[in-house]
Amino acid sequence: MSTPLSARIVEEYASAVRAHASAPDGPRHAAIEALAAKGLPSSRDENWKYANLRSLEGQRFVPATQAPPANEAGASAPANLAPEIPGYSRYVFIDGVFAPQLSAALAATPARISSGAPRSPMRALGSDERFALLNQAFATDGAAIHVPAGAAGAEARAQVELVFVASAPAKAGASYPRIELRLDSGADLALIERHVSEGTEPSFVNSAVSVALERGAQLQHYRLQQLNARSTLFDTLSADLGERAVYRLHAINTGAQAARSTLALRLCGEGADLTLAVATLGERQQVQDTYAIVEHAAPDSRTTQTFRGIAAGRARVAFNGKIVVSRTARGTDTRQSLRGLLAGPEAEIDLRPQLEIYTDEVRCSHGATAGKLDEDMLFYLLSRGLTPDAAQRLLKWAFLEDVIAQMGLPPLRRQVEEHLAEHLRDHTLRELL
Amino acid sequence: MTSMLSIHDLHVTVGGKEILNGLSLEVGTGEVHAIMGPNGSGKSTLAYLLAGRPGYEVTAGTVRYEGRDLLTLAPEERARAGLFLGFQYPVEIPGVNNVYLLKAAVNAARQLRGLPEVDAFEFLGLVREKMKLMHMEDSFLSRGVNEGFSGGEKKRNEILQMLVLEPRLAILDETDSGLDIDALKVVAAGVNSQRSPQSSCVLVTHYQRLLEYVVPDFVHVLVRGRIAKSGDRTLALELERRGYDWVAGEAA
Repeated sequence: MSTPLSARIVEEYASAVRAHASAPDGPRHAAIEALAAKGLPSSRDENWKYANLRSLEGQRFVPATQAPPANEAGASAPANLAPEIPGYSRYVFIDGVFAPQLSAALAATPARISSGAPRSPMRALGSDERFALLNQAFATDGAAIHVPAGAAGAEARAQVELVFVASAPAKAGASYPRIELRLDSGADLALIERHVSEGTEPSFVNSAVSVALERGAQLQHYRLQQLNARSTLFDTLSADLGERAVYRLHAINTGAQAARSTLALRLCGEGADLTLAVATLGERQQVQDTYAIVEHAAPDSRTTQTFRGIAAGRARVAFNGKIVVSRTARGTDTRQSLRGLLAGPEAEIDLRPQLEIYTDEVRCSHGATAGKLDEDMLFYLLSRGLTPDAAQRLLKWAFLEDVIAQMGLPPLRRQVEEHLAEHLRDHTLRELL
Repeated sequence: MTSMLSIHDLHVTVGGKEILNGLSLEVGTGEVHAIMGPNGSGKSTLAYLLAGRPGYEVTAGTVRYEGRDLLTLAPEERARAGLFLGFQYPVEIPGVNNVYLLKAAVNAARQLRGLPEVDAFEFLGLVREKMKLMHMEDSFLSRGVNEGFSGGEKKRNEILQMLVLEPRLAILDETDSGLDIDALKVVAAGVNSQRSPQSSCVLVTHYQRLLEYVVPDFVHVLVRGRIAKSGDRTLALELERRGYDWVAGEAA
């Protein structure tokens, strides 16, 4: 169903094609046509009622036209960008455009990395794919990472960091980060994905990530969303896990004014193993919404899902976690733990655990709780001389640690912890590190 | 004798119900007092009230600590002024490291006295030394506050915190409950090592067993919200023999 917004997007797309007199591009056209047919979600859509969709109204959807830098020093990474993690090759994209002068050499790791326009469309996600279609229609460059089979050896694990910098104001255009990951049988990849801002302009970022894990492949995926406080992010990630594939996805969301993440994860192979750990910190008037749909389509597959969210000020933090166990998924084991912490009288936490089971012989546990800081814990800390402020910050920190402590990459975990300490405005917390 | 804690005609209600009902108590500097009494007599209410827990309403009476009006101080101010509560049920705080809490607590008190923060390395040495006294394993250092601790470990951790913070007035709320005899001796040794002419201690307890190892200067019996009888340590032995009903009957 077309909407005024999707009609405007189609119009912008058409005029961009006319302006560049570019050759017909099949996948882009297909995407824009599908988007025109489906329209964009509204807050009446069941899975979109917590997102801030009004943030789309003022956006310009064509890519921010970043003129190629005149010299080597033309484009720059943000001054406050965290240092590289040893052993990881870093690749930087600015407003969706690959910045080779800020990046490692392509294909310098066991992974084959290439940049350029998107190759393959993402797998169909039904009504959840509309922002992925938008990305498909407009994305300029993307990172395609292919880790081939049989890369065994001492350094079997490929280690890659992708940094997506948003700098252009939304009125100039959008930024379309895109990642296509393919891990062949038995391949092993650790990926850091950062979304950061350069400057304080409100940017519009629409990212799309597709993940295909073949039999026995292993992916450690760390996603850090640290956009500036005026930006808007729509993000779509889809993943297919093959037989005995292992996917550990850690997402730490602290940035943006309005952020929505759609995670569509499918366990297609027997014994596939998914860990999804998400921590979100919302302050001021931020809206942080995550929708995760996990489908178990094969026997003896396993999901461990942890969400910890803090809403302070007038922020809204939402996590909608749906797990579907299909008829073919005997022996499925899922654990879901969703917890929200209300840290302000006008803050809002929305937790929605959903479980649909269509077979027998499964183990599915879930728990969801939202509440304020524990009064007994607070008093215990006060009785040891901590000020109410310090005690509250410490308890917020402890709350997120359930997710942070799961991160298996200590130097990155430390960066995340320092970032959180900054957000909680407590340099004394750094002593914890 | 100078006065450490002076409670006069204290009336306290919790949820509209009067729990302390005209309680008076003088604790001199350097003294150890035991407060005994049957369940529901108001022992824990007294301990929590002194530490400043919310939810307790003082309807009459005064509490002075080292000459200051204790009731006007916030809980953290009381702690920084040298008052320590050993909890009957220590709270588990997963994600907050034991050593971090100790250091934050010590630095909070030092800040009040205008002292710089403790040196992290020296501090760790001090904590290890006190841990040895409390028979605690090194793994304690990296664990969350009371996280997954047994009842006995939690109580030992309370005493460890007391030893590190070196309070002038320690109020220990049923620190002996749930301890086997070996743990009780360890806890008692910790309490005794803290005794000095400059500091005082109030032991709140249901049984006289702890008092065999930590010998009090005074024993008080709390019945229905007020001190019904006071004496020396022989009173505790008499209570053990005759039970609380005897004092309750006398007080009625």
